[in-house]
Amino acid sequence: MSADAYASKKWTEKRKESVSGLLFISPFFILFAIFGLFPMLFSFYLGFQRWNGLGEMEFVGFQNFAFVIEDPIFWKALYNTIIMGALGTFPQLIVAIFLAFALNSALVKFQSAFRAAFFLPYVTSTVAVAIIFGVMFSNQDFGLINVFLNLVGLDSVSWQTNEWGVKIAVAVMVFWRWLGYNTIIYLAGMQGIPNDLYEAATIDGATVWQKIRFITIPMLRPIIIFTVFLSTIGALQLFTEPLIFLGGGLRQEGITVVLYLWREAFSNMAFGTASASAIILFLIIIVFAAVNSFVVNKAFK
Amino acid sequence: MSKVISKVSLYAVLFIGAFLSIFPFYWMFVMATNHNSVINRVPPALIPGPELVNNFQNVLSNIDFFGAIGNSLIVSSVTTLGVLFLCSLAGFAFAKFHFKGKNLLFGLLLITMMVPPQLGLIPQYYIITKLGWLSDLRAVIVPGLIDAFGIFWMRQYISSNVPDELMDSAKIDGCSHVRVYWNIVVPIILPAFATLAIIKFMYMWNDFLWPLVVLRDESVHTIQIALRGLIDAYVKDNGMILSGTFWATIPLVLIFLLFNKLFISSLTQGAVKS
Amino acid sequence: MKKMVGSLVLSAAVLGVAGCAGDSSSGSSDGTELNFWVFGATNYEELAAQYMEENPDVSIKVNFSEMGDLHNNLFTAVSSNSGAPDVTMVEVSQIAKFLDAQDRFYNLYDYGAEDVKGDYLEWKWNIAENTDGDYLLGLPTDIGPSVMFYRKDVFEEAGLPTEPEEVQPLVTDWEGFKEVAETVHSETGKVMLDTPETMFAAIRDQAPEQYFNTDDELIINESPYVREAYDTTAEMIKAGLIGKNEMWTPEWGNAMAEGSSGALLAPSWMVASIKGNAPDAEGDWGIVQMPEKAGNWGGSYIAIPKESKHPEEAYEFVEWLVAPERQLQSFNDSGMFPSAPAVYSEESFLNTSDEYFGGLNTAEIFAEAAETVEPIYMGKNYSIVHDELMTALINVASEGKDPDKEWDEAVKRITSQLDRQ
Repeated sequence: MSADAYASKKWTEKRKESVSGLLFISPFFILFAIFGLFPMLFSFYLGFQRWNGLGEMEFVGFQNFAFVIEDPIFWKALYNTIIMGALGTFPQLIVAIFLAFALNSALVKFQSAFRAAFFLPYVTSTVAVAIIFGVMFSNQDFGLINVFLNLVGLDSVSWQTNEWGVKIAVAVMVFWRWLGYNTIIYLAGMQGIPNDLYEAATIDGATVWQKIRFITIPMLRPIIIFTVFLSTIGALQLFTEPLIFLGGGLRQEGITVVLYLWREAFSNMAFGTASASAIILFLIIIVFAAVNSFVVNKAFK
Repeated sequence: MSKVISKVSLYAVLFIGAFLSIFPFYWMFVMATNHNSVINRVPPALIPGPELVNNFQNVLSNIDFFGAIGNSLIVSSVTTLGVLFLCSLAGFAFAKFHFKGKNLLFGLLLITMMVPPQLGLIPQYYIITKLGWLSDLRAVIVPGLIDAFGIFWMRQYISSNVPDELMDSAKIDGCSHVRVYWNIVVPIILPAFATLAIIKFMYMWNDFLWPLVVLRDESVHTIQIALRGLIDAYVKDNGMILSGTFWATIPLVLIFLLFNKLFISSLTQGAVKS
Repeated sequence: MKKMVGSLVLSAAVLGVAGCAGDSSSGSSDGTELNFWVFGATNYEELAAQYMEENPDVSIKVNFSEMGDLHNNLFTAVSSNSGAPDVTMVEVSQIAKFLDAQDRFYNLYDYGAEDVKGDYLEWKWNIAENTDGDYLLGLPTDIGPSVMFYRKDVFEEAGLPTEPEEVQPLVTDWEGFKEVAETVHSETGKVMLDTPETMFAAIRDQAPEQYFNTDDELIINESPYVREAYDTTAEMIKAGLIGKNEMWTPEWGNAMAEGSSGALLAPSWMVASIKGNAPDAEGDWGIVQMPEKAGNWGGSYIAIPKESKHPEEAYEFVEWLVAPERQLQSFNDSGMFPSAPAVYSEESFLNTSDEYFGGLNTAEIFAEAAETVEPIYMGKNYSIVHDELMTALINVASEGKDPDKEWDEAVKRITSQLDRQ
């Protein structure tokens, strides 16, 4: 410290600032190192071990990865994840744009009441959503959805065991919970679009569809990219809805990548293969994020 | 004429949307008030029945409902308070201080925001068991304190809302950095606190995967884990299951309806602005 | 709020988060606290309360979870030495897996289990022993001799006799059972059984071997028995005699309440589920012996994980809990059939008549079934095989898929999962 006394005041000020800065971020970064960074890195180590949680770990090279990649259930899980994600996400985002456009219309009264109503599902927990819709999508003839199908002359669907039944039910859960959220995000974006653009279009005789296609969507571009990105990442991590909907049995129609990982770890006690599948999921998400931004960028050019 | 048509179709779209958003809540209430036998028949019940109290009593005999709500409250509020503190402190440092490695650390943070949390799931679980925290609320609270988005959000807010001049003048007055944080920064960023608090609280309240992995004992179940327990009860009763779901959902819905503007702007502006 | 959060140094220090007391498990009361994990329909909550009354210095917290969850949780807990209870139920099909983790459970022989060995059925006891016979994982609770429950109202609707004495001769073998099933189906439109699992399990449990041989090798492709159970079940599904519900789902429970199937092939422990799911069906159920021969389905043990700091107290409680006297109580309350033969000759056991089952002497019926039960080796990966075969049968039932193809698919999934164990 004595050396500091001779340094300029500015210098000590700088040093004090540096110390404070590091001090202020250190509580977070210490926790982060233990519970965030280290686990991520350690996963890469575990992926090469054979370990059931009980005995010693044993290095097995790429065997875990081979197991996962050669396992048809993993590919089934990946396929399911993508299908359910796509079914739950893309229609949802499209409907959200229309809903937001309607909400944004100058004619609408009670806008805030509508906003609250649309947003309500997002406040519900995923578990609750899965339970409610799980009962609606009962296999039985008395399930609400089947009653409705019968009413319009269609046959009952065995939602919990049918290949597409499971996927549609899960996609509906995702759709319902997130629709309002994305609608409000789009609405926020639309409120930034100057009204005279629409007025000019109206004078030119543009239809609603043309207004959406040529004004709203291009202007919302960054927000749409953002929501597609977020929804894709979220969809790849689907877990709760199929788990609650299918129960402990985890039938193949609804198993997702994260469910696969979870089952490997906490029901089959194969922590090595579970880590390997976590790493593969990580790589898949990177690929998706890259493809996503590429496609979206291209689509808007 | 065409204006009338477009107005009607506009409202039709909005009302259908609102109906589909709200109907499951109504239906959940209907189920929660009906006997299982009324639920499981054709046509199913569509109006509330007399079993409100009975069904909830069945919930109480299957799970420790209030204990689980209590656990959820503890986990969510302690984590939220902790995150507000840790993230505002770190966000403040990232926004206003110059120090070595600042950009590197912040970059690291941004990268980890992109990493799916499942990647670290198994080692995290392993750490928790080594700490002896399995079936201990700390297993959820402590890792929950890590919130890269929170720091990012706080940094943005502090950068644009806390003027450098204010800080400089405080320093000239001889305020320590801790005092600056407490007396100047915190009062300015209260709105950001509200936003982050709502986001974090909701996230922790609804979280499922991680609590499912580490909270094994019934006494530490959060409400989400407890709800899953209802499905696994050995007497299968949809009225009971939806009663539990209904009462677990209603508190948050009511709070939302009271503060819906704040909720909506909080939960979406985080997304829009980043 | 039973458990307060341990102090959170970082945030508590600055923000002054209040209310951070210590762990409650370390105990404010001066007695011993025992955590007890249970699954299924038992009367252990009541028995624990009774025990606490008799032993005020011990407090027992009974913790219920679904059977699969309990065993998964238990395995992860004992393997990481963290989060295991003091006392836990272990189902018979899971015993082999936990015997592999012997060092994580107290050897009950060290606590005096030898003294009560004579009280229990030998085969039941031996399952929880290691091969050398010097280690015991758990004390026996109940066994699951299986019988045929049937709905009198459905039988009546089908024009069949309803009293047990008349029903029994109709279902002495599976041929007879099928004929009855066909009558029920053609006369009432209802199925005979509402889930494939009970049919499959009934035939499977009559065989001398199941999924694995004693070397833990999968034998379902070589051994004829499981395949026979599977094929018979699939055939009956195709004939419309078996429904598509999965066991333990709300639909399944509801079917029980509605009486939408003619019969239920299940062990004695199903009694509590029947009464719980169909409280209004009192008098509608009858019980007869299983066609051909009873099997054993389920039944449990009670073990003490090493993590417990109170093995003596825990053992005392366990020994008390499964003592013949309590087994009688468990049978009366929840239909858990005693594994202690002393109970079989007790007056109060033999004279039980259950009003719910039309005043039938249920004990006598289950006891008769229990006589023919033989022990069968299950193996440590039993549930993997079982779950996949059930998936296959449900696919046949609800999707109309081809049974042979489903079997092959299931075997493929099973071998792939066994490979990585």
